[in-house]
Amino acid sequence: MLALLFILFAGLAIGCALAVVAQRNPLYSAISLIGVFISLASLYVMLAAPFIAAVQVIVYAGAIMVLVIFVIMLLNVEHEDTRRTKIGFLLPAALVLAAVLIAEVAFILVSVDKASFPTSAASSIGSTASIGSQLFTSYLLPFEITSILLLMAIVGAMTLARRTKELSPNTRVIPGAQLLALNIVDPSKTLDDATAVETDTTEEAARLLGVNSSRDPSKRD
Amino acid sequence: MEPQLSWYLALSAVLFTIGVAGVIIKRNVIAMFMCIELMLNAVNLTFVSFASFFQDVTGQLFVFIVMTVAAAEAAVGLGIIIAIFRNRESLDVDDASILKL
Repeated sequence: MLALLFILFAGLAIGCALAVVAQRNPLYSAISLIGVFISLASLYVMLAAPFIAAVQVIVYAGAIMVLVIFVIMLLNVEHEDTRRTKIGFLLPAALVLAAVLIAEVAFILVSVDKASFPTSAASSIGSTASIGSQLFTSYLLPFEITSILLLMAIVGAMTLARRTKELSPNTRVIPGAQLLALNIVDPSKTLDDATAVETDTTEEAARLLGVNSSRDPSKRD
Repeated sequence: MEPQLSWYLALSAVLFTIGVAGVIIKRNVIAMFMCIELMLNAVNLTFVSFASFFQDVTGQLFVFIVMTVAAAEAAVGLGIIIAIFRNRESLDVDDASILKL
């Protein structure tokens, strides 16, 4: 019975993992990855780890994948293009390495086959109480380091997501036109004069602003 | 027939290998990110299997910490992905091959 459940969830996990790699649309990959997480949570329940299974569903399938899907929706990712680099000479090497891996897994399955799980007293190991008591006594230092890591992640994400201030406060952006500070057109001017003009070229802007353009129009490339 | 320890280890190896292949094959940086998550989950499965095999809770604590690291990685990694997309208008990793935004 347990073997049938294992085969069911392992097959589901492998199939969803293959779909993650095979799909070209990142949104479909994300949905398949949620399938992998759910089937792994089921396997954790079979391994007498109910707390880890619950955290797997809540944190991985909940929080992290919602964040990933949110970013996919936000960036409006189109399908992955199909151009390929020339990796033909790597194909034999990949096949050899895959054969080595399959042989390795077969060796594990054959030689370690007698190692079955201990059947007695499998209930108290993965419970929330035992994990909590260990986490706050023996493993208190890793727990605290984890909190520092999360704080660093929050600060890092905020720093990365913030737009850097590139423009002076007086600059006015003209959509569709080139944006130049006045002191680039004429180095003698300061940034305090922020008159906006709508032009397509630097020279035209210089003429409209009544300044001397530092560029020679005949030497433009 | 009960599931053996080796079954779980073989499943973990297969999932990890699929994740490695995905990181190598995919070009979309979000898809590569999801393949990294797949590899982390394969390692978690190994930890939980050995924790159940040796009747020791330490492996499950490692899984707990790996999940925390994955959450932090998701926050920072997706921030980096958004910053790359803002500058490059593309999520292809080949478009971001010079180490300069």
